[in-house]
Amino acid sequence: MKITVRAFAQFREVVGEVTVLDLPQRSGLPVLFAALASRSDESRGMLFDDQGAIREHVIFMVNRKRVPRSSLDSIILYEGDEVAIYPPVAGG
Amino acid sequence: MITITQEDFDPGVYINAARDRQVGGIVTFTGIVRDDGITAIELETFREAALQELEAIRDEALSRYAIQSVDIIHRIGTLSVGDHIVLIVVGAPHRRDAFRACEYIIDRIKETVPIWKKEYTNEGSRWVPGEHT
Repeated sequence: MKITVRAFAQFREVVGEVTVLDLPQRSGLPVLFAALASRSDESRGMLFDDQGAIREHVIFMVNRKRVPRSSLDSIILYEGDEVAIYPPVAGG
Repeated sequence: MITITQEDFDPGVYINAARDRQVGGIVTFTGIVRDDGITAIELETFREAALQELEAIRDEALSRYAIQSVDIIHRIGTLSVGDHIVLIVVGAPHRRDAFRACEYIIDRIKETVPIWKKEYTNEGSRWVPGEHT
């Protein structure tokens, strides 16, 4: 299934603005993050810490709704979903 | 009005627009680019999500405080020292709730609205670190 990933700020500079990933049906966010990380060492270093956990400063939305870190493992993705990843915001 | 725009704005226009027979005070916050030894800043947004979040913050402010109107204009793109970044205009019957609501809105914007700043100096560039994960 196709999932669109949009990345912003320094994440955009590393991962790219828009990435379409082809993931197995009913994949979750950890699978998506692993797929992104496999694209370059720089992507892996930005998304994952040395223990292989997704870094604290990675914020994510699915279909423009913020997903709390506590739901990281419980979200199931579906064909056509849009995942956004970005660092802590700094507007205002 | 909630807007994200590359264009500059005139705060006076929005202050006048907030006038109303029930409004006894208008409180504004204008964010401008400070000279921290930078040559420019660039603001980036996830526009659809940022507009949605700004609307949610406006609605929260309207329900939490006794205020009549909220306008938020946030700029993106390349800005120079002294340029406007953001304008918040709160109209209310009485000043106290207008001040509180205005502060609440700018604090919430800094916490959750997907907008980022990159600073440019003569030495290079850096992303301004956000404070809230």
